Amino acid sequence: MTDPSAPPSPARDLAVERSRIADASLAPSGHEAIEWARRNSPVLDGFVRRKVDDGSLRGKKVAVVVHLEAKTAFLATVLADAGATVVAAGSNPWSTRDNVAAALVDRGIEVHSTRGSTNEMWEADLLRVADSNPDYIIDDGGELTIRMARDKPALYAQLKGVSEETTTGVVRLTELERLGRLPMPVVAANDAALKHMFDNRFGTGQSTVQAILALTNLRMPGKRLVVVGYGWVGRGIASYAHAMGARVTAVEVDPIRALEAHSDGHEVADLATALSTADIAITATGGIRAITTRHFNALKPHVVLANAGHHDHEVDVPALIAESDGIDEVRPGVTRYKLGTKPVYVLSEGALVNIAGGLGHPVEIMDLSFSVQALGCHHLASNDLAPGIHQFPAELDRAIATAKLASRGITIDHLLEDQTDTLSEILEADTFHSWGSEGADQ
Amino acid sequence: MSTPDVGRSMIDFASDFMPALAAATGVVRANRRLDGVRVGVALTLEPKTACLVEAIASLGADVAVLGSSNSTKPEVAAALAETGVKVFAEKGSSPERSTELREAFIDHQPELLIDDGAFIVRRIHEQRRDALPSLRGVAEETTSGVRPLRNMAAAGKLEVPCLAVNDARTKLLFDNVYGTGQSVVMAILDSTNLQMQGKVVVVVGYGKVGRGITSMARSLGARVIVTEIDPVEALAAHHDGFAVAPLMDALVDADIIITASGIGHSLIADHVAAMKDGAIVAVGGAGPPEFDPTMLGSLTEPLVWGETVRDNIQELKVPGGNTVFVIAEGHCANTSAGEGNPIEVMDLSLALQMRAIDHLAASDLPAGVHLLPKEIDDEVAASQLAAAGLAFDTASDAQIDAAQAW
Repeated sequence: MTDPSAPPSPARDLAVERSRIADASLAPSGHEAIEWARRNSPVLDGFVRRKVDDGSLRGKKVAVVVHLEAKTAFLATVLADAGATVVAAGSNPWSTRDNVAAALVDRGIEVHSTRGSTNEMWEADLLRVADSNPDYIIDDGGELTIRMARDKPALYAQLKGVSEETTTGVVRLTELERLGRLPMPVVAANDAALKHMFDNRFGTGQSTVQAILALTNLRMPGKRLVVVGYGWVGRGIASYAHAMGARVTAVEVDPIRALEAHSDGHEVADLATALSTADIAITATGGIRAITTRHFNALKPHVVLANAGHHDHEVDVPALIAESDGIDEVRPGVTRYKLGTKPVYVLSEGALVNIAGGLGHPVEIMDLSFSVQALGCHHLASNDLAPGIHQFPAELDRAIATAKLASRGITIDHLLEDQTDTLSEILEADTFHSWGSEGADQ
Repeated sequence: MSTPDVGRSMIDFASDFMPALAAATGVVRANRRLDGVRVGVALTLEPKTACLVEAIASLGADVAVLGSSNSTKPEVAAALAETGVKVFAEKGSSPERSTELREAFIDHQPELLIDDGAFIVRRIHEQRRDALPSLRGVAEETTSGVRPLRNMAAAGKLEVPCLAVNDARTKLLFDNVYGTGQSVVMAILDSTNLQMQGKVVVVVGYGKVGRGITSMARSLGARVIVTEIDPVEALAAHHDGFAVAPLMDALVDADIIITASGIGHSLIADHVAAMKDGAIVAVGGAGPPEFDPTMLGSLTEPLVWGETVRDNIQELKVPGGNTVFVIAEGHCANTSAGEGNPIEVMDLSLALQMRAIDHLAASDLPAGVHLLPKEIDDEVAASQLAAAGLAFDTASDAQIDAAQAW
């Protein structure tokens, strides 16, 4: 099955020749998966598709290096439909879907990725993408940008812009700028309201809870659940787990966030105390070694440990391996470590549980995130931005939200002139009066 | 790992989270009533029910299990078969083969039967009366099975004692509410990769299952509309903060429609034609024909099944009209597009089943539908509380006196 919107065969032949994918025959199911993503991405498939199709991306080469599955693939097709030449690779070797990669090649898009490739092969894939001499990068964790800065300086100097997906990537690219090694403009797509407030909270929140329940077949009502880290991701997980009937304890190093968790109705405790109650513990710090050797004694028998943060080392699996008397995969994606006689379960070997052990974020959430990315890339291509980190334009944030609301048939209000509180009016008025006190019986 | 090994490992994992079943098995073992008894188990065949089957077999019973073509987990069936249990379950079996398996299961002539939806006990009463004389009692798992049994009893047609295990409080208030609520909502999200936030979800029926589903969907950010045929339940939904509307009106805005009525023909072709293009239909109550797209209502042309667009999601088209997506072809979404109810919830239900067959073996109940004794219900609930390290209070003499005063 070839997609009806596929370009004429020369582009496809070229893509087939240049790509490294697992199995081209998987394309039909990949097309189905992409079509499902399209159907549930009304913003990317409507407002954003029209906006980017103004010629500014025509003939430009765009490297897309994000978890290579159906939603990312749909983003790639939207950019390609706008005239860009897209080259894609995965931002993590374990998240690539081979059927989706095959479908992209079938649509004439060059892909370098296979699921479960070695780290060396994955690095080589990224360098192949770099060698294609991209104008723009849609990056995740800055993985391609940083490698080009290190390994491909000539091609790096020719980059016209980068749009970055994650908190981690924005931190890394900001550091590159500080070192004086960022010669091109970067749009911090992650910092868009429609990215981090939705993707990180609702998307990771729902999909993490979902993956844990699917991997274990356990019950959420009545569980004692510990969330380590109360940032956007931790807030999302805690709120869904609580709403589904779990008793949540939040663990924080920041007193303001700890107080926020307390005010949200969660228990707050230090990690050792919290872990001694936990049936399920989820790391969401974005750092490393959140749960490590010094905490193992506090764990209850049969506790389930899962990670929702960026790094695979928040649950210190190497330390668990070192301390364990036996290691078995007892269900797909569920590994049991025996600490003495105490069984402890780790999901998806400590990797991001919603992606490694589930389907990743819901499609509609990625519709918003990738609308930000597509418009970020378009913003770079249609403006002459100075080198350095740029915020995602607020009016584009609002435009995406407006398009999403419209797709749901939702109307909202607009402030009218007489509803604004104008300071100059107060300053120029003869007498001061405060709204609300007028005529009140005080 | 080989297929049976995968199944074995999954059964053992489940068993670690089933303290109530372990406690119930201990009680029944001491009673020594099941040794050599032929027991038939006709439940969804997956790791939790396998724990029950193995527990019964460990008491010396001669156990046969029947599993359906759509919900059987093959690795679990393989693991059970290795232990000498008679397994009549093949994932994806044709209707003809499924019938053969069912008849072979009945040929085992169970003395005690654990039934789900009263399918086997009805079959035995109607077409397989040869199996009736040896059948001493039936333990029924679900609401949609208890109802026909009561109907049969009222008509004087029920010839064996049946325990309505479903109606035990430790079953009905947990399995149907929290278990099905979580597992149906999760099966929909796992099958579709969609978000629940902001979705308009219509739930057909506000019984125990409907309550669980509405609560879980709302927890994840959905706006829920409840439809009911019972004014009291509709009023309860209203008080719980849900919108209440007639099904035909509610459907128009729905992104997801979930049936939880437990009654056949609750959602039919007419309703499908009124849905939004792209709406998702899932069944959370009983299997076919709760959702019955073959019943046309006011439509003149039959609906047409289209492509399978993802695993467990199939298009259903109204000729000349909209297309909707049906999960698991209208079978129960949680067992057919997921792994069924959570382990700890089934721990309660299956512990009750263990105690129920022991009770049937011990007592000389007349034909008819009976409730499980309250003491058994209480003991099973208390055993899971104890395993969770939770204590509860005992009524004082003064409280007991006050409660009995008049």
